[in-house]
Amino acid sequence: MNTTGIIELHGEQPVDQAPLETGRDRVNATLGMILFIGSWTMAFGTLFLSFLVLRDKIAVWPPAGIALPSAPIAGIATLVLAASSVFVERASRSLAVAPGAGSDRRASFNSLWITGMLLGLGFALLQAWLWYDLILAGRTQTSGLYESLFFGLTWVHAAHVLVGLFLLSWGLIGSRLRRYGPERRSFISNAALFWHFVGIVWLFLFLGFFVF
Amino acid sequence: MTSDHIHPEPTTFLKKHVFSVDHKVIAKQFLWFGLVWLGIGGIMAMMLRWQLANPGVPVPLFGKLLFPRTSGVIDPASYNTLFTMHGTIMIFLGLTPAMIGALGNWSIPLMIGARDMIFPTLNMLSFWTMVMGGAVGFYSLFVPLGATEAGWTGYPTLSTTVGAVGQGETLWAIAVFLIGASSIMGGINYITTVIRLRCPGMHWMRLPLTVWGLFLTSILNVLFIPVIGSAMIILVLDRVFGTTFYVPASIMSGGTGGDPILYQHLFWIFGHPEVYILILPAWGVVCDLLSFFARKPAFGYRASVGAMVAVTVLSAVVYGHHMFTTGLSAMLGESFMLLTMIISVPAEVLFFNWLHTLWKGNLRLTTPMLFAMSVIFVFGLGGLTGIYLATIGTDIFLHDTYFVVGHFHLTMAASALFGTFAAVYFWFPKMFGRMMSERLGKLHFWLSFVPLVIVFCIMFISGYAGMPRRYYDHTSTEYLRPLQHLNVATSVAAFLLGAAQLIFVYNFIKSRWWGEPAPQNPWEVGTLDWTTETPVPHYNFKTIPVVQCGPHEFSNPVLGPDTDWIYQTEKLPG
Repeated sequence: MNTTGIIELHGEQPVDQAPLETGRDRVNATLGMILFIGSWTMAFGTLFLSFLVLRDKIAVWPPAGIALPSAPIAGIATLVLAASSVFVERASRSLAVAPGAGSDRRASFNSLWITGMLLGLGFALLQAWLWYDLILAGRTQTSGLYESLFFGLTWVHAAHVLVGLFLLSWGLIGSRLRRYGPERRSFISNAALFWHFVGIVWLFLFLGFFVF
Repeated sequence: MTSDHIHPEPTTFLKKHVFSVDHKVIAKQFLWFGLVWLGIGGIMAMMLRWQLANPGVPVPLFGKLLFPRTSGVIDPASYNTLFTMHGTIMIFLGLTPAMIGALGNWSIPLMIGARDMIFPTLNMLSFWTMVMGGAVGFYSLFVPLGATEAGWTGYPTLSTTVGAVGQGETLWAIAVFLIGASSIMGGINYITTVIRLRCPGMHWMRLPLTVWGLFLTSILNVLFIPVIGSAMIILVLDRVFGTTFYVPASIMSGGTGGDPILYQHLFWIFGHPEVYILILPAWGVVCDLLSFFARKPAFGYRASVGAMVAVTVLSAVVYGHHMFTTGLSAMLGESFMLLTMIISVPAEVLFFNWLHTLWKGNLRLTTPMLFAMSVIFVFGLGGLTGIYLATIGTDIFLHDTYFVVGHFHLTMAASALFGTFAAVYFWFPKMFGRMMSERLGKLHFWLSFVPLVIVFCIMFISGYAGMPRRYYDHTSTEYLRPLQHLNVATSVAAFLLGAAQLIFVYNFIKSRWWGEPAPQNPWEVGTLDWTTETPVPHYNFKTIPVVQCGPHEFSNPVLGPDTDWIYQTEKLPG
C-alpha cells in the first residue's frame, strides 16, 4: 500500500501526492452537473407546466384592469442576466485556453467573473424592484391566480439566482485562494453551467409572463 | 468537490462511522436507517389492522401510551395519520433507503470494480439529507393542530389549508422534498459511477443485472423526483404563503383560483415512475439471484436488459391510469389504458426469462433464492390484478377499494420488500463478514410469504365486494357489515406477518455480532464483489480488476467437470 493513502478510484497505480485535475476528472464533474441540470429542468418544467395549465383558466391574459409587473424592467433584467451569462462563460473559458501565462489567465478570469457576478446582482435587484412595484400597487401573492403564478414562480427562480450567486462567489474566493485556476477548473465550469441554466429558466418565465 | 480520488482511511469514530464518505459505510447506514423505518411503518400497519378488525377497542400493549386521550383507542384523526404515515414511511423512508440507498451503495462500486462512488461527498450528503427528511417527517407527528391526514398521496384539498389546518401537513411536504433531494443526489452519483467507473472489460453487456436495475432506477429518480419536488414546493407556497395554485376559485382568492386536479397530475407524473423506482432494483436482484442459485446463465440476458429499459421508458407515459375517475377525456383515458396494457409486454419478457432461468436448473434453495423466487409469484399476482385496474370499465368500479390496496401492496411493496430481503440475506456475509442463520432465514421466509399472500389476496376479495379503502370503521356502514369477517381474517394474517419479522430482527442482530464467520465466497458466484476479501478492505480492490467474461457463466461445459462457476476476472478456457 502507498503511504499517503491517496489512491485513484479508477487506475492501476496509486499516486504520490494530491493530483492535479485530469481531463477524466473534468468529464466526470461535467457529466454529474449535466445530470443535475437535467433533474432541475424537470423541476422547472413541472412549474412551467403548472403555469401553462393554470394560465388557461384566466379568461383574459394578461388580466385587464389591475396593476401588472413592469414589462420594461423585466426586459432590462433579461438583458442584464444574459450579459451576465456571457461574462461568466467567457471567464470560465479563459481558464481553458492554451497554457503559458498562468497568472495572466487568472487575472483576466477574475475581472470577467466579477463583472458577471455584478451583472447577476443587478438582475437580483431588478427582480426585487419588480416585486416591490407590484406590492406598492397593492398586489400580493394572495390577490389572485395571476399574482400566485407570478410571485410563486419568480420566488422559486430567485432562490436559484441566490444559489447561483453563492456559487459564483465561491468560485471567486477559490480563485483568489488559488484553489481554482487553470489547473483545477471543474467547479468554475460547473458553476457557469448552473448560472446559464438559471438564465434560461428566466427566459422562459419572461416569455410566459411578458411576451406571449 | 468532485474528485476522482479518495482520502486516507479515517481514524476517528466520527469520520469512520458517522460522516463517512466510504460507500460501504454509507450502505450500512442506509440499511440500518431503512430497517428501523420499515419497523416503524410496520408497527403502524399493525395498528391500522387492529382498528379495522376491532373498531373502537383499545390497542393492546402500547395503546395507552400513544393515545392517552382516548385511553388507547385509535381516534379517527389518528387513524388518518397512521395510514398516511404508513405509506409515506414505507415508500420514502423504508424501501428507498433499504433498497436503493443500501443495495445501490453496496453493490454498484463492488460489482463494477470501482474503489468508491464517483462523488463520495455527495454520497454522504445524500444520506444525511435523508436523515433530515426522516427527522422532519417524524417531528410532524407531534406538532400543534395535528399531523398530516391527507393520505400518502396528499391530494388537495385534503392537504391545502382547507383540509389540513395543522403544521403537520406542511412538514410532511418538506420531509418528502428533502427525501426526494437525497434520492436525486444518490441517482446522479449512481448514474455517473456506472457510466464512468466500470473497470476495464466490464462493458454494458457484462454488467450484473442488479447494476442494470439500479442504473435504470437512478435515471427515473433523477428525472421524476424533481416533479414531486416542485409539486411539494407549490403545496408549501399554497399552505404557508397563501397562493392559490391548488385552491379552487373562491371569494378568498379574489374570484380566480387554481386547480386541485393539477396536483394529481403532478403527483402521478412522479408517482407512477416511483413504482418502478422501487421495483427495478428488485427485478435486477431477482434476475441475478435466480441465475446464481439455479447454477445456470440468466436466460435471455439481453432481452432482460431490453425489457427493463422498455419498462423504464414506458413508466413515464402511463400515469393517467391513476386518474380515470377524475374526468379525464375519453381519448386520454383510452390512451393511458392502452399504454398501461403495453407495459405488461416487457414485464412478460422478464417473467419468461426468470422461469426459463429456473427451468432444469440445479436449484439451491437458500434463503436469498427463496425470497427471489417469491418475488416472481408475488409480483405475478400483483401484475395480473393490475390488468383490472388498467381497464377503465373495471377500474371505475374498483377505484378506491381494497382491491387497489391489495394490488399495489403486492407489486410495489411486497415485491420490493422481498427483493430487499433477498439482497440482505445474499450480501450480508460480504457486508458484515458473518453468515446469517439459514434455518431462521427459511423460517422467516415461510412465515412471511404465506401470511403476506393471504393478507393481500383477501383484500382482492373484499375490494371486489366493494369495501372502500381508508374507512375508519367498516362496521358503521350497513352494507359493509357482512364483510367484517374478511377484515378480521386479513388482520390475523397481518399480525402473523408482523410477528414473523421479529425472526428477521433476531437473526439480523444475532448474526451481525455472533454469527459464524463468512468465507470469502459462500454462494460460489463469480461477480466482482465476491472476488474481494471478507471484510472488504478500505479501497475494495488493491488493483482494479480486469473483466474477462460475463456475470452468469454457470455450468458452462468448457469449465470441465470439477467446477460449475468462474470469476468474472478469469478467462473462459478454450
